[in-house]
Amino acid sequence: VTDLAIAATTQPSAPEAGGWARGRPYFVYALQRLAQAVVVILLAYVLSFVLITILPGNAIATTLGNPQSGLSPAQVRNVENYYGVTKPIIVQLWMALSRFARGQLGTSLVSHQTVTSLIAGALPYTLKLAGTALLISLVLAAVIAYGSQYLPGKWARSVIRSAPSLFLSVPNFIIGLLLIHYFSFQMHTFDVLNPDSPVGTFFAGLALGIPICAPLAEVLIANLDHETGQEYVLVARSRGLTQARLFARHLVKPSMLPAVTMAALIAGELMGGAIITEEVFGRNGIGSVMYQAVSNQDTPVLQGIVALAAVVFVVVNLIADLLSPLLDPRVRLGGGGRREVATP
Amino acid sequence: MIGNSVARRFHRVVLGVAALAVLVPTVAACSSGSPSGGGTAADAAAGSPKDGGNLTFLIQEFPAGWVSSESNISSYEGNLWGEITDKLVYVSSTGAVSPWIATSWQTEDNAEKYILHLKPGVTFSDGTPLNAAAVVDNITLWAKGDPSRGIAKVGLFPAIYFEQAKAVNSTTVEVDFSKPTLGFIPTLGYHGSILLSPKTLALSVNQQANLTNEIGSGPFVVKSFQTGVSYTLARRADYDWGPPALGHTGPAYLDSITYKVVADESTREQAVVAGDAQADFNVTPSDIPSLESQGFTVATPRYLGFVDGFEVDADAGPTASLDVRQAIQHAINRTQILNTVYPKGWDLAESFIQSNVPEAQNDSALFDYDPTLAAKLLTEAGWVLGPNGYRTKGGQTLDFTLVPNPYVPSTEQEDELIAQQFAKVGIKAQLKIVPLSDYASFAATSAKYPLLSVSRSFIDFSTVGGVLTSVNGGQNWFDLGTSDKTLDNLSQEIESASTTTQRDTVASQVQQYVLNQGYFIPVVQQVQRIYLLAPNVHGVTYNGVAYANFYTAWLS
Repeated sequence: VTDLAIAATTQPSAPEAGGWARGRPYFVYALQRLAQAVVVILLAYVLSFVLITILPGNAIATTLGNPQSGLSPAQVRNVENYYGVTKPIIVQLWMALSRFARGQLGTSLVSHQTVTSLIAGALPYTLKLAGTALLISLVLAAVIAYGSQYLPGKWARSVIRSAPSLFLSVPNFIIGLLLIHYFSFQMHTFDVLNPDSPVGTFFAGLALGIPICAPLAEVLIANLDHETGQEYVLVARSRGLTQARLFARHLVKPSMLPAVTMAALIAGELMGGAIITEEVFGRNGIGSVMYQAVSNQDTPVLQGIVALAAVVFVVVNLIADLLSPLLDPRVRLGGGGRREVATP
Repeated sequence: MIGNSVARRFHRVVLGVAALAVLVPTVAACSSGSPSGGGTAADAAAGSPKDGGNLTFLIQEFPAGWVSSESNISSYEGNLWGEITDKLVYVSSTGAVSPWIATSWQTEDNAEKYILHLKPGVTFSDGTPLNAAAVVDNITLWAKGDPSRGIAKVGLFPAIYFEQAKAVNSTTVEVDFSKPTLGFIPTLGYHGSILLSPKTLALSVNQQANLTNEIGSGPFVVKSFQTGVSYTLARRADYDWGPPALGHTGPAYLDSITYKVVADESTREQAVVAGDAQADFNVTPSDIPSLESQGFTVATPRYLGFVDGFEVDADAGPTASLDVRQAIQHAINRTQILNTVYPKGWDLAESFIQSNVPEAQNDSALFDYDPTLAAKLLTEAGWVLGPNGYRTKGGQTLDFTLVPNPYVPSTEQEDELIAQQFAKVGIKAQLKIVPLSDYASFAATSAKYPLLSVSRSFIDFSTVGGVLTSVNGGQNWFDLGTSDKTLDNLSQEIESASTTTQRDTVASQVQQYVLNQGYFIPVVQQVQRIYLLAPNVHGVTYNGVAYANFYTAWLS
């Protein structure tokens, strides 16, 4: 999916005829991208189903087969048959797909709640965490990027330039454990029993946001380096613009485009990282639902979450792809004049 | 150019590594930090119970959801079920059965017919009366399940000979079996036999999965919850039908109980130590001594059931020989296992059933640790020591595969130790780790493993009669089929006994026989639930399946 995202953002494929401004080609391009997105989501759904189902065992047998249950294998098989988990994989896949096509995600084989209600119950917590983390990472990335250009002293600038590599190499669970240890256990800034409090959410967002800001900061730094060397910057400087004004008015905007295309990648990292961060901070969310679904082989729940992840990823990509030609007139669909986009 | 960028990259990596070097010791310090302070050591003289207060109960998860027929298998949900529902009888931690919603009962027709007399005036929290009709609905579902809705029967309910339950009048229920079923009354106190409103039972499985729909008659009701986060129960002010055996029948003392889901074990423990919560389910056993020294109560209640041990395939392979089975019985140093794997609070097995089962007797002399005797028995059976230290017979090595029970994680350490102890008498043993997700299918096809780990609770001794042989559809634990006539007879006598006095004699014989024959190799007594309580929590009681009753609890 990642490769596809990069390919899609850097090589918009569209019919030869003219630029996007004519309307119709852009519409065709958008339709193509939409069709691709649907295929990717379906593939993710099928693949996750096959991967879980070919493993031995199933959720029903694991739950009811506990020797403590006192149920005989025949009694367990009755329930297995009711839920169809013993049918051939291809039949089960057909059942799952036809359900999916009707917009239903099915029910959990363990708790028997509908997958939709399980996800709906957990998603707000994850969105809150991911949103906080995104905000924190954007601010951090901007601060690092600004510092990399204007911090007094070459030494200081080189230190701040190495920050993204450091952030990238420290796993977010270590950052999380350190934050919990110092800010919760020692300084009592937040209560680990209420991880969803605003302060608790801030620290969880920080743990998740720090590694995420790294690639963002690197792209910004690379593009700022590139743009600073451009003639228009020299002209602007010669007209007496202050550094801050130059940064905000002239440098940030052209450096933003590659950051927008990176948003899709960041969305993936946010989702993956949120799951780990939720576990570390003991937060409720998609992560804990997924963790339980994996450990119980709760296929419908896991498929629902994979489908959700695929949808988020594909939609963010799609938006990035569809926005790029609109954001920067130099990005043409199939024509010449595409500008170079620096990626780390 | 290239050289320059490589150098820069190297520079960054060095910086990153340096930073990690600073961070790692801090993390190590973080994980080894011992819980500090908190507990006022002396548990103040209890005094008389006080009303009021909220008890915060920390729990790892509620993994099985709220469909009652399934969640009774999980160890977690039972903690909440026990507070919002009642049972027909109360079974204490010593297996004593006493009245609860059923104030009295009669056993008729050789224990084939039971008449239950219900307490009048009991209501579910939605106002529906808990009358004979409601009890009939519950008993019928426990016994039969509902295949058309995908609802399994309650596993431990003695349903083989169940015929029907019917309401005689609004407070009298008659239950009929086709053969004597002594296990019926005690099973009514099992944590799977919880009384729910007929409206709840009639719901589809998907609707039952919603905790809001769980209407019981218990001392607490569900007030609010956020799935996976916290669950608050509030006291029912009009509750007046608690089990008399607990010495309290009115409303609960606590205003509310809040279950908070905290996945991390050490976080839960630290929160109780810091006074942020009053109870914690399943603490790390090795932390028990340190917690107790700080004034906290750690309860390790026993459940009624089989001990932790092995069922032996007495039909095939080396274990078909009595000498080999007895040698194994004497080759295990249970004291060493207890001291190495388990901290304070665990006990040695005295029989193949837990010692709090009323029928249990101390037969530990039949399986004491005696490596010399074990070696002698093996030599007599023709298994001679080879140069590699293992015994062989006819070119075959005496070799076992032990499969730790993933439902009881400590069995892995146990089995490692047992393998070492086996080696001392010349038995080779290796471990095969089967993950939880594969264990059910493994257990269904595990005939090839002569020693198989057992973890099984029961609330009445009659369960024993149903597992020993294949008589009457028994579970045939020892693969004997019907080849051991003595055991067949004992099983049938247990199952057909129509009075407990009659059964007691058989119970004593069957324990001696099974242990002497080496059919069951006991190891230690099973502890499934561990409760950590703050010093200001008083009056907590534990029932026969080792669940805490917070109905009688109060805070000082």
